[in-house]
Amino acid sequence: MHLLGQTLISGFLLGGMYALIAIGMTLIMGVMKIVNLAHGALVMVGMYVTYICFVLWHINPYAGMFISMLLLFVLGSLIQRYMINRLVEVDSILPENQVLLTVGISLVLTEVIRFIFKSDYLSVSTGFSGKTVFLGKMSVSVPMTIGFVIAMVFTYLLHLFLNRTDLGMTIRATAQDRDAAVYMGVNVSRVTMITFGLGSAFAAAGGSLLLPMFYLWPDIGHLFTAKAFIITILGGMGSTAGALLGGLTLGIAESLGATYISMGYKDVVGLVVFLLVLLFMPGGIKSLVKR
Amino acid sequence: MLRVNHVHVAYGDVHILWDVSFSVGEGELVALLGANGAGKTTMLNSISGLLHPQEGEIEFSGRNITRVPGHKIPALGIAHVPEGRRLFPEMTVKENLEIGSLSPPARQKRKETLEWVFTLFPVLKEKQNQMAGTLSGGQQQMLAIGRGLMALPRLIMFDEPSLGLAPVLVKHMFQLIKDINQQGITVLLVEQNVMQVLEVCHRAYVIENGRIVLSGASAELLNNKYIKDVYLGI
Ligand SMILES: Nc1ncnc2c1ncn2[C@@H]1O[C@H](COP(=O)(O)OP(=O)(O)O)[C@@H](O)[C@H]1O
Ligand SMILES: [Mg+2]
Repeated sequence: MHLLGQTLISGFLLGGMYALIAIGMTLIMGVMKIVNLAHGALVMVGMYVTYICFVLWHINPYAGMFISMLLLFVLGSLIQRYMINRLVEVDSILPENQVLLTVGISLVLTEVIRFIFKSDYLSVSTGFSGKTVFLGKMSVSVPMTIGFVIAMVFTYLLHLFLNRTDLGMTIRATAQDRDAAVYMGVNVSRVTMITFGLGSAFAAAGGSLLLPMFYLWPDIGHLFTAKAFIITILGGMGSTAGALLGGLTLGIAESLGATYISMGYKDVVGLVVFLLVLLFMPGGIKSLVKR
Repeated sequence: MLRVNHVHVAYGDVHILWDVSFSVGEGELVALLGANGAGKTTMLNSISGLLHPQEGEIEFSGRNITRVPGHKIPALGIAHVPEGRRLFPEMTVKENLEIGSLSPPARQKRKETLEWVFTLFPVLKEKQNQMAGTLSGGQQQMLAIGRGLMALPRLIMFDEPSLGLAPVLVKHMFQLIKDINQQGITVLLVEQNVMQVLEVCHRAYVIENGRIVLSGASAELLNNKYIKDVYLGI
């Protein structure tokens, strides 16, 4: 019983951090109408930035996260402006090709990081990475709890930003009707660039928070792309609330798999859940809520 | 105030507008009339900067706006109430209005303008926290017009505002547009509804297959034989 409780809690905490990554992907998908298959690679780059800040300059990962977010905001904006936008501007190219381009970007980022850091497994060990607290008889990881809380704070701040500021409103408007947004005087190319930057910053935040829980190596990006993709489908595509729900579901499913099947099958469980959802609930969790 | 000079517009290889010229004077209510597919929306989108003419010029308040990008047009004082309303369905009524006032001068007066729009359309005030997608067709059209007014425009362009409205509402809609014009806002009204529009506008242009074929004061056009035969079916 303690084991189940403990498993559920750690899955929930993990899921909150996954959700942060998926929310970034959802933002980008909303405005650009493409699945960003470079998202995991951006998570990975964000993790390396936080890692370097810690190893080279002894910057606490929770502070390093902000540096990483800022850098990834810039990197994401530049990728959107100078690579993806190039394709958008060519009329004859189909949106599908933008998705292919994101795969290419993902490969480039992965290989650049591999070139710099080799394929070695790295890990950040701060004083408290392995620390746990006890909740009754259940042990709960400290970095996972902190990560979860920060993830929820960011999610809430994003919610406020999207709903309470003019810039946030223009992002939602651009996602709903691009031409109508232009009629309102919205500079949609600028908004698209900012949105890609924001989505990338969220990827960096999620990655940085997960740093104590994962070994870091260049190919870890693919894992996160898959997770974010699964979560967006789980959540029913396109809504922040859906991504949050999808993230928590995936986290719990993985955690149950790790405890009751085998640690090594953790990621497989996520994929199985994904297949089940596609087969039986193609609208995602959202379709349950609507009924 | 608005001057369109010998404008040609094409989508790729398909030439749509041919040598279109017309003008709208300060304070006027001018209509651009034509059947489905004549090129009316294409003309408005060229003024709004979503499209740019291949040839010709568009001038607003003495300034050449032919190549001005779309997002800079509202700040110049031109509002566009698009065909099919194009509201943001998953934003509230109030947010739809607020987003109409993004340009700095309109932004500054957002609160006052919102109150003004609410007095024009009390039903919008009532439903301000509802999603725009849940409104009825008539209410959505009011919201689209209100959103246009939020920009505090000097020129407001309506693209087929009567589309999809019940006949009683259509009459009301045109009266409303006339009222807006009488408050000092210049209006360019695009419509297929020739008879009712000629009763409210000052002047009108008739567009067919991308060419202006006829123009004149509304009283004149109401008695024009061609208009009677082709558009009024009298
Ligand atoms: N995006 C587009 N690409 C190609 N052709 C278009 C496009 N939009 C409109 N057209 C064509 O241009 C012509 C004029 O359309 P439009 O300006 O919408 O007419 P109206 O508003 O008078 O009904 C039509 O023949 C239409 O098929
Ligand atoms: Mg039209």
